[in-house]
Amino acid sequence: MDLVDNILRLFSSELKVINIGLELFNDALKAQGVNSVQVSWQPAPKLEKEYEDILSKIM
Amino acid sequence: MKRNFHRDSVQLLRLSEEAKNIGGIKDAAVVMGTTTNKEILQKLNLLTDEGRAASESDMILAVMADSQSAIDGGIKQIEEMVLRPPVAKGRSFYSVDAALQAVPDANFAIVSIPGEHAREIVLKLLDKGLNVHLFSDHVPPEHELELKQYARDRGLLVMGPGAGTSIIGGKAIAFANVVKKGKIGVVAAAGTGLQEVTVLLSEAGLGVSEALGTGGGDVKAKIGGITTLQSIDALEQDPATSTVLVVSKPPDADVKKRILDHLASMTKKEYVTCFVGPESYVVPANARARIRATKTLHAAVMETIRATEPSRHTEISKHFSMSQNELLDLASKISKGLSEKQKYVRGLYTGGTFAYETLVILGRMIGDVYSNAPLDHKLKLADSYRSTKDSIVDLGEEEFTVGRAHPMIDPTIRKMRLVDEAKDPEVAVIIMDFMLGYGSHSDPAGAMLGAVSEAKKIAEKDGRVLPILAHVCGTEQDPQPLSEQVAKLCNAGIEVFPTNALMAIASALISRKGKISDSTMEDVYGTYLTGF
Repeated sequence: MDLVDNILRLFSSELKVINIGLELFNDALKAQGVNSVQVSWQPAPKLEKEYEDILSKIM
Repeated sequence: MKRNFHRDSVQLLRLSEEAKNIGGIKDAAVVMGTTTNKEILQKLNLLTDEGRAASESDMILAVMADSQSAIDGGIKQIEEMVLRPPVAKGRSFYSVDAALQAVPDANFAIVSIPGEHAREIVLKLLDKGLNVHLFSDHVPPEHELELKQYARDRGLLVMGPGAGTSIIGGKAIAFANVVKKGKIGVVAAAGTGLQEVTVLLSEAGLGVSEALGTGGGDVKAKIGGITTLQSIDALEQDPATSTVLVVSKPPDADVKKRILDHLASMTKKEYVTCFVGPESYVVPANARARIRATKTLHAAVMETIRATEPSRHTEISKHFSMSQNELLDLASKISKGLSEKQKYVRGLYTGGTFAYETLVILGRMIGDVYSNAPLDHKLKLADSYRSTKDSIVDLGEEEFTVGRAHPMIDPTIRKMRLVDEAKDPEVAVIIMDFMLGYGSHSDPAGAMLGAVSEAKKIAEKDGRVLPILAHVCGTEQDPQPLSEQVAKLCNAGIEVFPTNALMAIASALISRKGKISDSTMEDVYGTYLTGF
């Protein structure tokens, strides 16, 4: 397979998008009629130091 | 303060706007506790001891009101607002795996999560065969290289990290404009650069086939132009593309040579290279007939028109051409009321490539120009928040954006800065860019008008005039139609220029009251506004 085939296929196919992060970008895609879904990403919560210490002792 | 509580910068901006409208509240802000945000809250008189103690992962809710009961009521309402789950438009998922299962034929992903978390997610997307537009900054360089090599091995693109914009199949991705479909392909390691050239080519009627943002890091030595070269190869094979424009700030010397050699030996179409910078560079001799070298965005667009429509290029490019005499006359009219003391240019930019292009042009015309992102590190502003002599500030740089929405979305920092600049009696002219399109503020011109009027009043009280120039980067089809935005600025007494380069030249002429030598003007017109 030619290494640019995947990219050329992207140019000529209908966009189907997974948007991970800023919802603003998903809103913009929807406004242009693009088929897209949103993944609402959140960082893993940081534990308070004291809980982290307890966890590290028991695990 | 809400400890360890996260919302993205655009959600926070919307919450802040909503909070300001609560009855009985004079001012309000909802921000993450970064240093930049705390400095801004301090300037707005919204920072308390509790806010001062917040860390980057804590959220600060700040309100100003006349009574304690109004403050308590306001905070309670804002807390309810931030706890309200966001209303998703369309389908929404809480994990990438769930989204991939639900949309098995997805072919593209946009990733804009904090950069340190990007690697794992992008690898997963590439494994599923998706091309990725990676908007995130702060992706460690070793992750950047790994992701790009992994993608290349699978024939996929990782556009970014730090890619602000792309146009794929006519659709605007992230910060991008609605442009006419056409025959010009664009590869850009410079986001605002991509926006300016696609907008001007669209306005010229040539239109754009695909515009691929690669992220600024792509042309650095460590990455070696992986995405740039892949994009060139794809556009070379793309039957819808006739001419390709390659845009970047100056690449690493080896990468620049690699790109030029690749174009000379591996391509056959017409190409225009635009390495925005003061230096000329050499295209291999065997390819000079079809590869045109330029060093500003303005020149790149002119040469692309020349390459694509050789017989009609003068007619097509007249919308954004100004002769030396036209520019000199306009500058002389604008500088008429300036006092002897008013002698400096101040640029307040939201677009990084524009700030850079202006530094290149002003460097040739007036010499040393200070900046938070200067051409020469000796000219770096000691404090990004304070201009000195001639200064061009890129408000999209990290020191202004950590934990905040980009200034193309949130005008707060530029509004404050414009008022500060107006207080300096040595300022001759202020220049600003206005970015339209998806992703940007819904009314960028309108959002600045209050600050413009305040700035003009400050100067007037001091017995000065304060000329303000603008360039609006956008099209009539953008969510914020170009003509409406231009009209708002013109009605506020702002002179609007068709390209950033022409605005930069005008600002040099105004600040030096026309005293730029004929030979300099000839050189600027001969090598900065056209190919060299």
